[in-house]
Amino acid sequence: MRSRKVLPRLISLAIFIALEIASLQLLSHNAQLQRIWLSRSAHGFMGAVWGSTQRVQGFFRLSKTNRELSLENAALLKELTETREALRRAHTDSLGTGLRQESGFVIIPAEVVKMSRGSQHNYLILNRGYEDGIQEKSGIITRNGVVGMIDAVSAHHAYAFSFQHADISISARLGLEGGTGLLVWDGSGNRGAILKEIPLQYKYNPGDTIYTSGHSLLFPPDIPLGVAGESRIINGATNEISVTLFQDFSAIRYVSVVHNTAFDEIEEFVQ
Amino acid sequence: MKKSGFWLIYIILLVAQLLLSTYANFTPYVMVTLLPVMVLCMPIRMHTILAMVIAFASGLSVDLLSEGLLGLNALALVPVAFARNAIIRLIFGRELFAREEDFSIHRNGFGKVLVALVLSVALFLAIYIWADGAGTRPLLFNAIRFGASLVASTLLSLLVVNLLAPDSR
Repeated sequence: MRSRKVLPRLISLAIFIALEIASLQLLSHNAQLQRIWLSRSAHGFMGAVWGSTQRVQGFFRLSKTNRELSLENAALLKELTETREALRRAHTDSLGTGLRQESGFVIIPAEVVKMSRGSQHNYLILNRGYEDGIQEKSGIITRNGVVGMIDAVSAHHAYAFSFQHADISISARLGLEGGTGLLVWDGSGNRGAILKEIPLQYKYNPGDTIYTSGHSLLFPPDIPLGVAGESRIINGATNEISVTLFQDFSAIRYVSVVHNTAFDEIEEFVQ
Repeated sequence: MKKSGFWLIYIILLVAQLLLSTYANFTPYVMVTLLPVMVLCMPIRMHTILAMVIAFASGLSVDLLSEGLLGLNALALVPVAFARNAIIRLIFGRELFAREEDFSIHRNGFGKVLVALVLSVALFLAIYIWADGAGTRPLLFNAIRFGASLVASTLLSLLVVNLLAPDSR
């Protein structure tokens, strides 16, 4: 019944549009001013339509673009780590010690599929497992710093402790050549952390950058983590510095898993 | 009035419109048109598609035979025909369609007929002035032209509406 009413209306609408187009055609063929005006309007309309179409297409391509950027990011991070390693070796050689540090990191891009942020023991689940090359005792980083560390791995997923976990600490350095201490989550907020156990003799200024020290085996050295803020002296022996992290934990999706290829060898040696 | 009577008056008014378009160009601020009232008063049983085709042909004939731009009256008049049923339904109610009865001042009141006329003339003039100006005329000029033409055309339409929609029809 309803289609009986809709069809004649559609036909009327089609004929209305056809007659209006015919009128516009006649108008544009017989008047220069109207021709220019119609042409300009048509171009404006086409531009708006194509612009909107491109925006919609771009929106639906975002997921693919993000994955591509994640892969590119991981490749760049790998290159950066290798370059830093080469620079350090060159620096060590220039000191004339004759010693070489032979450690490298495998970097695998991944996506966070689940993440908790509401407790004191937060975790992440990544969409990559051992079939993708992920191993336990690997670190998780982004271009903004450290995110967590892998604790358990299945075929296609990995479970990780978030940096926002009460039991997690990261070896961090104050500046590129300053004192080394432990960076822990401050227990609240998305960007707050505390750098502990910095010996008093190491001077710093609020605003100095905090880097990974490279002592933990899990993370490459010299990854910028955040900036130092206020400090207080603990037991008259060490400084405790508040840190504002670069990484906003409320906006994590694409990460890189880093695994130290020399981890097992060093662990075995230590034991 | 029989249908043939209506169409005879319609053709006479079309000729009158031709004369108005050709000779009644006293000022660029005012254009007088009878075309919207002619379309609005077409028999209520007439299908919208046929009304649009007749409106297109009427507009085109005025454009061809007067000194106007070819397609301009047709462009502005077809939307009046397309919106005719909606205007009648809005102003006079659905009963006219159920009874298949044409409206008139005597049966439906002067006020309602006036509002229907104003709506159809305003729709016609809005498109006509917009397309005629082609984006080159200032808004104030278009607004004054629209207002003055609306008043003049509505008054003239009120004079002929009784010819097109008499009580006896």
